[in-house]
Amino acid sequence: MAASNQDNTRPQNTRSIMVFLQAHAPFSNMDDDHLAHFAEHATLRFYADGDVVLAAEDGVVNRFYVVKQGRIRGERHNDKADKTETTFEISIGECFPLAAIVGERPTRTLHRAAGDTFCLSIEQDAFITLISESEPFRDFCLRGVSSLLDQVNQRIQTGAMASMGSSISLSTPLDRYALRNPIVCTPDLPVRKAVARMHENNVGSIVITDDNRHPAGIFTLRDLRTMIAEDTCSLDAPVRQIMTKDPCCLPATADAFAAAMLMAEHHFSHLCLVDENNCLIGMVSERDLFSLQRVDLVSLARTIGTATHLRTLVSLRTDVSRLVDAMLAHGADSGQVVKIITTLNDVTVRRVLELNIKKNDPGIPFTWLTFGSEGRQEQTLLTDQDNGILFQTPDGMTEDQVREKLLPFARVVNDELAECGFTLCKGNIMASNPKLCLSDREWDDWFVRFIDASTPQNLVYSSIFLDMRAIYGPTDSLDELLDKVLTRIQKNALFQKMLAGNAFQRKPPLTMFRNFRYVTDGKKRSLDLKRQGLAPFVESVRVFALANGVKSANTLERMDDLTKAGVFDAKDANAWKDAYSLIQAIRMRSHQEMLERGDELTNYIDPDDLNPLDRRILRESFRQAQRLQQKLEVTYQL
Amino acid sequence: MLEQIKQWIERRRGGQTGNIAPEKTPNPKVPGDQLLSECRLIVLDLETTGLNASKDEVIAVGAVAINGGAIDLSDQFDLILRRPELDLTETVLIHGIGPEALTQGHETEDALLFLLEWMNGDPVLAYHSAFDQKFLEKTLKAELGYTRNHTWMDVADLLPAFFPDALTGGKGLDHWADFFGLEVSARHHAASDALATAELTLIALNKAHKSGLKTLKELHDKLRYHRRLQSIHGV
Repeated sequence: MAASNQDNTRPQNTRSIMVFLQAHAPFSNMDDDHLAHFAEHATLRFYADGDVVLAAEDGVVNRFYVVKQGRIRGERHNDKADKTETTFEISIGECFPLAAIVGERPTRTLHRAAGDTFCLSIEQDAFITLISESEPFRDFCLRGVSSLLDQVNQRIQTGAMASMGSSISLSTPLDRYALRNPIVCTPDLPVRKAVARMHENNVGSIVITDDNRHPAGIFTLRDLRTMIAEDTCSLDAPVRQIMTKDPCCLPATADAFAAAMLMAEHHFSHLCLVDENNCLIGMVSERDLFSLQRVDLVSLARTIGTATHLRTLVSLRTDVSRLVDAMLAHGADSGQVVKIITTLNDVTVRRVLELNIKKNDPGIPFTWLTFGSEGRQEQTLLTDQDNGILFQTPDGMTEDQVREKLLPFARVVNDELAECGFTLCKGNIMASNPKLCLSDREWDDWFVRFIDASTPQNLVYSSIFLDMRAIYGPTDSLDELLDKVLTRIQKNALFQKMLAGNAFQRKPPLTMFRNFRYVTDGKKRSLDLKRQGLAPFVESVRVFALANGVKSANTLERMDDLTKAGVFDAKDANAWKDAYSLIQAIRMRSHQEMLERGDELTNYIDPDDLNPLDRRILRESFRQAQRLQQKLEVTYQL
Repeated sequence: MLEQIKQWIERRRGGQTGNIAPEKTPNPKVPGDQLLSECRLIVLDLETTGLNASKDEVIAVGAVAINGGAIDLSDQFDLILRRPELDLTETVLIHGIGPEALTQGHETEDALLFLLEWMNGDPVLAYHSAFDQKFLEKTLKAELGYTRNHTWMDVADLLPAFFPDALTGGKGLDHWADFFGLEVSARHHAASDALATAELTLIALNKAHKSGLKTLKELHDKLRYHRRLQSIHGV
């Protein structure tokens, strides 16, 4: 304000409009001259609450509007339901009608003032001048709100990138990283000669191919080290005896993220790139992917997966947070980052289990179950334990006898996981709880009671136990259990309706006037991004998923599956996925900031701390949650 | 603004008539059947050296035009008059205009002629208009010998006439601006106060339209009626 006040060549009111515009995208990126052009050609109009601002009957749109005060509501008539639906909300600093003015057609949506509203507008001539002269304005008008989403993602990346100093993106096709024409040999070549060939070419790995150039195996320097240390094979033996058979392959079109995830999950350091005929065309190593990073996903996963002491696992947890920073810097979106965190958490849990089995094997095979956000693969850095055990009762034993052996073991695991940073569950939803260490038959009974008796407590539990996944041990018995549970829920309309009613209770934090509804938390105004922001999506999507037999537990995957099943409209689902991911992204960024400041992690944010763009996107995201809930309301007649 | 005035002066003086006479400026219009939704209205605010019309002077004139129910920002007036000889200590604090800014002002006569030309005889609205009217009429008379009567309407009457139940907590421009949640960019700057007054006028005109008031005369009569009511109730 002070700066523009010194500009005395322009009238005060022109300057003040420029200052107003500068606070909002896309104007914030525009030159002063272009803003002045806008301000000098603008008219200011008033619309009382409920006044029509723009309608299809007005014909081809010839003005471009910006809300200066108040709010505009877009209304469309839904012929099916015979009622008027709000399709969008435009608030201070936002523009309309973009598509119509660019497409030189009438608007298809009735624009109505919601509350007393002032709008600045310019005529088509001035609009065309700006479009042709200002690049940021053109970009915004032609690409609409999606260019704003790009801006948010860009900012998340640049913030994280500042600490990384690199610009390689995880969405880059693997092609870019791949080594072309990798060193190959036949399966019959002696190990000694294969190593010589690696040495000559100064590479750390060699691909063993068959006569058709299909990758048959891979042999690396690490394999050589193990081979010599453990004396498993002679140097004169054919390489096929010692190679890792059936190496992991990806098509060249896959992106770096897919490769990184595969490597992290299976502890591979190399992947083969193949064409559509499964012929070898290249090779990607972990080093190629992460050459510029201090912390890399694959080696971190491997270090966790092979740690020999609990204290190593505990110390590795700080690396996980650094890795999240790095991943954001490399262009991972929030969906990818939560998967990375979940993968690393899975590896940690598995390793804690393995170390304890080594030390003190309970002697009974079991499946380690995980529930809630971990079950959905949606964990962030702030996470607590929700786990259980599924076992098959060995012949000659009772279930209680099995529990006698498994419960002490589970107790130690729960405590050790707590040391690794997975907070103990306050509700005692943990494997060491006798009620959650059950045989397949007992779990089945448990779910029958759960679904038939819809007590309030059960509805609270639904958000935990209906998002279930196995992370250790055999998975067959869980698959069978899940099939039965899904079938039962699909047949039980009453249970579905109760679930829907419960999900409907979680209202997104918007007031009737589309302002943020705050949690009362002392003096500070705050929003709970998890309970108020994400939960409405997670809970509503769960109801649709369970009712339609969708097996996956991940919210984004559930939405994809529901779209494939024709339950969700593809456009709606995309909007919901974007909204959900953006809330998650804002939540993760605030977690990273809390970590940097050394604060305790919480899910609370004060929207006033966000910049106007994020605030606006957050509000739009909450509105999408309202739309999803409306679908729930209509489907289940709540 | 400067550029505009220069061009205008050149245009006027370039003609054979020499200096333009004040009486050649557009005739003041009388409230008649002009439609509110089509006519042009001037919303004006003055900055002065003080509150006493007999000894204080006008420093700055800020005005915007309402055209066909919308504030047209390409049609505005924002000018500091040249008054270097005045003692400013009294008002400098309120307005933020120091002697330096004042000396950059324009030849008063030219500026006032341009203002009359720009006003085009259209009705003038102001907040507590009696004050602005007194000062402007005095200045026009002293500088140009201009004495014609313009139609003035007081926005401070207009608002309670259409929003009799509004709990504004006071009668000032700030009270009404707060009541409608307006943001005033630089309070006590003539142009900025004029814009705020114009925004309030738009709100009142919207209400007028909905209560069936269509013409300038009807609006003018409603204001007169409102003032009479006020005086009967003896406030």
